Amino acid sequence: MKSNFLGALFQRLPVETYVVTFTVVLWIALSITAPNFLTGDNISNMMRQVSISGIIAIGVLCTIIIAGIDLSVGSVAAFCGVFAAQLLSHGYGIPISMVLALLTGVFIGALNAVAVGKLGIPAFIVTLAGLQVYRGFALLISGGMTVGGLPPDIKLFARGTVFGIPNLFLTMIVIGICVHYILGFTCTGRYLYALGSNSEAARRQGIPVFRITMVAYVLSSGLTALAGILLVSRLSIASPSMANAYELQAIAAAVVGGASLFGGRGTVLGAVAGAILFTTMSNGAVLLDIDPFWEMVLEGLLIALVVYLDNLQKKRLSGL
Amino acid sequence: MLKKLTMAASVATLALFSAPAVQAQDTVAVIVKATTSEYWQTVFKGAEQAGKELNIKIEELGTPKDDAAGQIAVLEGAAGKKPSAIVISPTIFEALGDPVAAVTKAGIPVIIIDSGAKTDKFASFLTTDNVAGGKAAADAMATCIKERTGKAAGKVAFITAMAGHESLDSRDKGFKDGIAAYPDLKIVGNRVANNEEAEGMSLTADMLTKDADLAGIFADNAQMGTGAGTSISEKKLGAKLCLVAFDADKGEVEHLNDGSIYAVIVQDPFMMGYAGVWDGYAAAHGVRLPKNVDTGVGAVTKANMNDPAFAGLMDVTKRKMSPYTGN
Repeated sequence: MKSNFLGALFQRLPVETYVVTFTVVLWIALSITAPNFLTGDNISNMMRQVSISGIIAIGVLCTIIIAGIDLSVGSVAAFCGVFAAQLLSHGYGIPISMVLALLTGVFIGALNAVAVGKLGIPAFIVTLAGLQVYRGFALLISGGMTVGGLPPDIKLFARGTVFGIPNLFLTMIVIGICVHYILGFTCTGRYLYALGSNSEAARRQGIPVFRITMVAYVLSSGLTALAGILLVSRLSIASPSMANAYELQAIAAAVVGGASLFGGRGTVLGAVAGAILFTTMSNGAVLLDIDPFWEMVLEGLLIALVVYLDNLQKKRLSGL
Repeated sequence: MLKKLTMAASVATLALFSAPAVQAQDTVAVIVKATTSEYWQTVFKGAEQAGKELNIKIEELGTPKDDAAGQIAVLEGAAGKKPSAIVISPTIFEALGDPVAAVTKAGIPVIIIDSGAKTDKFASFLTTDNVAGGKAAADAMATCIKERTGKAAGKVAFITAMAGHESLDSRDKGFKDGIAAYPDLKIVGNRVANNEEAEGMSLTADMLTKDADLAGIFADNAQMGTGAGTSISEKKLGAKLCLVAFDADKGEVEHLNDGSIYAVIVQDPFMMGYAGVWDGYAAAHGVRLPKNVDTGVGAVTKANMNDPAFAGLMDVTKRKMSPYTGN
């Protein structure tokens, strides 16, 4: 193994390095090429746009860290959002509706954890089933129709700002800090990484595997339920088709942000930076008037490139 | 347009009274493109209404999302149960041609609604002309811009809900052709979304960042209309920007009311389901139907949305259906 100063530096780079670098470079490039990019309005737009997918990405990240996955998030967001909206339109107040929808999300997460941890069904299959089941429930409880006529106050949160920063973005930041704290500074966090790195070793060391699995899936579905509620606040309606394919966006954000689908690796900062990168790309594509079909191709290639660079670093780390 | 349809229905009604002994209970299978959309649910509502009036059984079928292979399987399954007639909206023109012809050949009359199939072996085709709908959107937008600025001039853009969908492409084509008739209106942007409201919202905001002086936006289905409407309402631009959107789901109607959407282009999915079942029943009892029937599109603005002619189109629960059955 060749070792030099650069190599040593590479090894010490945190996992988010590539995604943060890419995002910064893209921001600089767009500030130069797109005259309206670096304006207060556009930044505020992007903050609103990134928040909901960012929150879901943070949740999904927790399942990826334990070498699991959560493919059900898009459907769960739609189901919990439609559920909250139905409660609202039947006259239950905003607090009760929100709490019930959140609890539903937590319950779904617990079900996923039981299926994965107790019944031993692969997470991919459990949550793939969930992707169908909860979209189906969203359609059932809405009769396939958009739920409208919600109290006007529902919009206030998503449209509000504190010191000019959108509430939605602040919500994502607060959640990010909390989950970052859990992952980085608590026993539970260390166990999550340990379980993802080597589940057998984790078991032998006496880590409460089921409890940790429960934490990961409840965080994922619970945060997703919150994102679904925020989506209803943003749209001021709920539709059973909303949050379509959000699971792929969330997984892509986490993976581009340095998370490994084999588990044991990934950070909140990386996942949020990944979400910001994708939001910036679609924003930039509109501002530069890039053909929408090329935009899809470029986004796909970007995922491949960032993960490739990331893997190079991992290989260096393991001395291959 | 509607006249032709009413005529077909009256012919059908007449035929029913003179029809020979009818079997105990007929079944008409109604197969839609995507059971998860409000539009197709409205088609089902129309079908149910007709089923109630005719006292026949309606089977509501379809794939959750657009899926041609899945729809062929549903069609074959439905045909296997030998219903009196099948009403279907083919997901893909080319793919459903032969399967529809096969069902017709097996002696089950097929009524095609909304979108075509590549065959002439069907009993009747009830459709909206999507190109005409797109043109109507362009005209409504031009009217709005002229009302507000005195001149139909400026930059306009449109949002496509999904790539590669025949009916959406036709609406967009109609819109582009329609705008071309106004020399001072210029299309400066087109974005394609993933048929998801929040994305329509983001794209609208981003298009307005790119061209702050946009005079009009056309959203080509209900999801995009709701998303774009929410963005316009958030930015309080309803009085300035002329947003025209296809369909009329609850989100769009809300934004039509709050002034964020200037006009919605409405089709008549209820009528497609309703007349589809009536015609299917009539065909099953030997009535020959007109091959092509246009169920019509219209532009509805805040000013005329409460007219009785449009109220039923905007809200199914207000739909009245008297001329068909006389009761």
